[in-house]
Amino acid sequence: MASASSIASAIASKTKTKKKHFVAQKVKLFRASDPLLSVLMWGVNHSINELSHVQIPIMLMPDDFKAYSKIKVDNHLFNKENMPSHFKFKEYCPLVFRNLRERFGIDDLDFLNSLTRSAPLNSEAQGRSGARFHTSCDKRYVIKTISSEDVAEMHNILKKYHQFIVECHGNTLLPQFLGMYRLTVDGDETYMIVTRNVFSHRLSVYKKYDLKGSTVAREASDKEKPPPPEDVPPRPKSGNVQQRLQTLRIATRFYCAMKHVRDAKELPTYKDNDFINDGQKIYIDEENKKMFLEKLRKDVEFLAQLKLMDYSLLVGIHDVERAEQEEVESEDNEAEEEGESDGGGIGTPPDSPSNTLDSTKPLSPGEFDPSIDVYAIKCKESAPRKEVYFMAVIDILQHYDAKKKAAHAAKTVKHGAGAEISTVNPEQYSKRFYDFITTILS
Amino acid sequence: MSSNCTSSAPISASKTKTKKKHFIGQKVKLFRASEPILSVLMWGVNHTVNELSNVPVPVMLMPDDFKAYSKIKVDNHLFNKENLPSRFKFKEYCPMVFRNLRERFCIDDQDYQNSLTRSAPLNSDSQGRFGNRFLSSYDHRFVIKTVSSEDIAEMHNILKKYHQFIVECHGNTLLPQFLGMYRLTVDGVETYMVVTRNVFSHRLTVHRKYDLKVGCHYKLHALFSKEAKELPTFKDNDFLNEGQKLQIGDDNKKYFLEKLKRDVEFLATLKIMDYSLLVGIHDVDRAEQEEMDVEGTGEEDEYENDGMGGGVLTGSFGTPPDSPGNPLNCGGFFGPGEFDPSVDVYAIKSHDSAVKKEVYFMAIIDILTHYDAKKKAAHAAKTVKHGAGAEISTVNPEQYSKRFYEFMSNILS
Repeated sequence: MASASSIASAIASKTKTKKKHFVAQKVKLFRASDPLLSVLMWGVNHSINELSHVQIPIMLMPDDFKAYSKIKVDNHLFNKENMPSHFKFKEYCPLVFRNLRERFGIDDLDFLNSLTRSAPLNSEAQGRSGARFHTSCDKRYVIKTISSEDVAEMHNILKKYHQFIVECHGNTLLPQFLGMYRLTVDGDETYMIVTRNVFSHRLSVYKKYDLKGSTVAREASDKEKPPPPEDVPPRPKSGNVQQRLQTLRIATRFYCAMKHVRDAKELPTYKDNDFINDGQKIYIDEENKKMFLEKLRKDVEFLAQLKLMDYSLLVGIHDVERAEQEEVESEDNEAEEEGESDGGGIGTPPDSPSNTLDSTKPLSPGEFDPSIDVYAIKCKESAPRKEVYFMAVIDILQHYDAKKKAAHAAKTVKHGAGAEISTVNPEQYSKRFYDFITTILS
Repeated sequence: MSSNCTSSAPISASKTKTKKKHFIGQKVKLFRASEPILSVLMWGVNHTVNELSNVPVPVMLMPDDFKAYSKIKVDNHLFNKENLPSRFKFKEYCPMVFRNLRERFCIDDQDYQNSLTRSAPLNSDSQGRFGNRFLSSYDHRFVIKTVSSEDIAEMHNILKKYHQFIVECHGNTLLPQFLGMYRLTVDGVETYMVVTRNVFSHRLTVHRKYDLKVGCHYKLHALFSKEAKELPTFKDNDFLNEGQKLQIGDDNKKYFLEKLKRDVEFLATLKIMDYSLLVGIHDVDRAEQEEMDVEGTGEEDEYENDGMGGGVLTGSFGTPPDSPGNPLNCGGFFGPGEFDPSVDVYAIKSHDSAVKKEVYFMAIIDILTHYDAKKKAAHAAKTVKHGAGAEISTVNPEQYSKRFYEFMSNILS
């Protein structure tokens, strides 16, 4: 991707030349099924272009964490075909997210192209609170619709998050926050946050788990139930495997009040219970496991410090043989699933412009580019099936104080003032979480 | 697109049309300028041309396009404060129409954008008739005039017919080439601007400048004559007194007068008057002398910035061997008194047997005064002075156009 002509001067000169990007000027129409998506595409396009006219600072200043850019468009009898005539687009902390993108190895123009060449696609994935998801057309990024409280929480943690990313050199299992926006269409405000996709942009995931490692006294079914009071049972002192498995078997997830019904669509999200019951295992070798757990430990410690909790480990499993089989079938049907010619299946047309997104060589089954699929871990040699695992932490914006307040209010209503709250605290949550993940990796 | 515009055939409105591949050295455009309004202008032109690049070119313009506008309001907080104001608004009138006009005048949108955004527009010494502010793009290809809201209204009134006229004459006219019309709001103050092609050359200096009008108001003009700093604008009176003639030869004269006739007839049908012929004279020998003086000190007056980050010298010193094919700079080497007619569209060489070797730049300017508006104002003034019922003895547009044409044909030989 690197063009040798980039002038690596960090000095803020007035006419700094960026790397020369040969871009075939395809007309971007921002056509989408939903005006909100058109506005998102337009907005990201605008924001990246604006940033290209702002000098990259040597370092971020405190003001950058409070900044925003706002734009309001009012057209009359112009450009009505794909865009609404009136809309607003706000980007929070543009310089911070530009810096984060850089630290996560994402070039702004590639980011732009991913989100604007073609409309983002609806994703069946449902968040904890029924949040809406989209993925970029090339599946590299996930766009999540969040609440204004989430935006506020993001602002609260942004400085420390950024610092953490600096210190770990972008090497983390935490969500890679890449942009945060507010869109206003027809008077309705929608908040969106863009993160790197945990799963691969190429390799399909056939099984997905959302793991928290929490334990509650009652079994919860898949259907929505009012959240039971959560008590931490005394942890088994001995390392007896059977006992632990027993505990875990009777353990159930702590479902949030608005927990969704099991997704009947293509890729249901399984939980801890299912993981145990399925006898699911993650077969990765010692070195990968060590590296992974080190990252995880640092990450959950950071989260505990920030008093964040209720996050999950998202696990996706790619079955190589199964994928090969599916590809053979789809080739027979002459229907290609992957829209982008990224070298995975058929190869690139001979004269396609050198899109920096495309890897130069086609990848064989089960292979991945670790600079793009950053969370991918190959199974170890002795694994029963050839698999690739994608694992990262998600849903980190729930703050303990906010939870406590809400729970307290609920309990007060139920049991009167003065009732004690017996909620797990972030420290405990992080330990439990870490221990559970350690267990499943063995 | 090369600098030669061969046809004005419509381009099919395909959805994923691939435009010409533009190799752009991604120089960071900072929109740095001495005044916030200039930064906003640069930002605005940059934005609107980019927006248009995402709107397919239609097969033909529709009536709605002549009533359309795009408006954008920017509100930044602790962001991008270095060169731009935090709050401003930018409105473009009839974007599709002006894009089409630019195409008909053989101006590529990217070049237009670059001219207005690579570096800040410069203040121009010339003052308009009523003290309107003039700016020129840094490369001197375009002139930006500050106009009134009445002018904007008048532009809207004539735009359809103007566009039609441009279609019919294939862009071959002495009328102003209107390329863009905008409203900028900075600090709550609204400023209207119209961009036109520069009548004068972007390269060859103009040594004498005349603003020629005829009519009963020419005396008033002498009263209003404003002396600009370096380049005074002389009026028709001065012109006649000096016995000036523009020696362009019979062919050029014929061709020029044909265009002029068509143009003034058009203006008369629209009841427009009080326009001028702007004449600029480039003295070739004098320019050569000036250049030799300057060479002695090792500097160059004219230079082009073609995106390589430094100045590129055209004319005498040639272009650096590896400069990208910036269409602005194609065919870099020009001899004294030479010009690229696709860029300096109004330039006419003096004929070979002329007394002096000169290049003339002539075009019509200030076409937004409508007879009815004038009459109303004059009538009101007269009524105040002489009471109702006083007669107005104003020249009408028809008469004005005839007189104008005759005067101009007399000064050419």
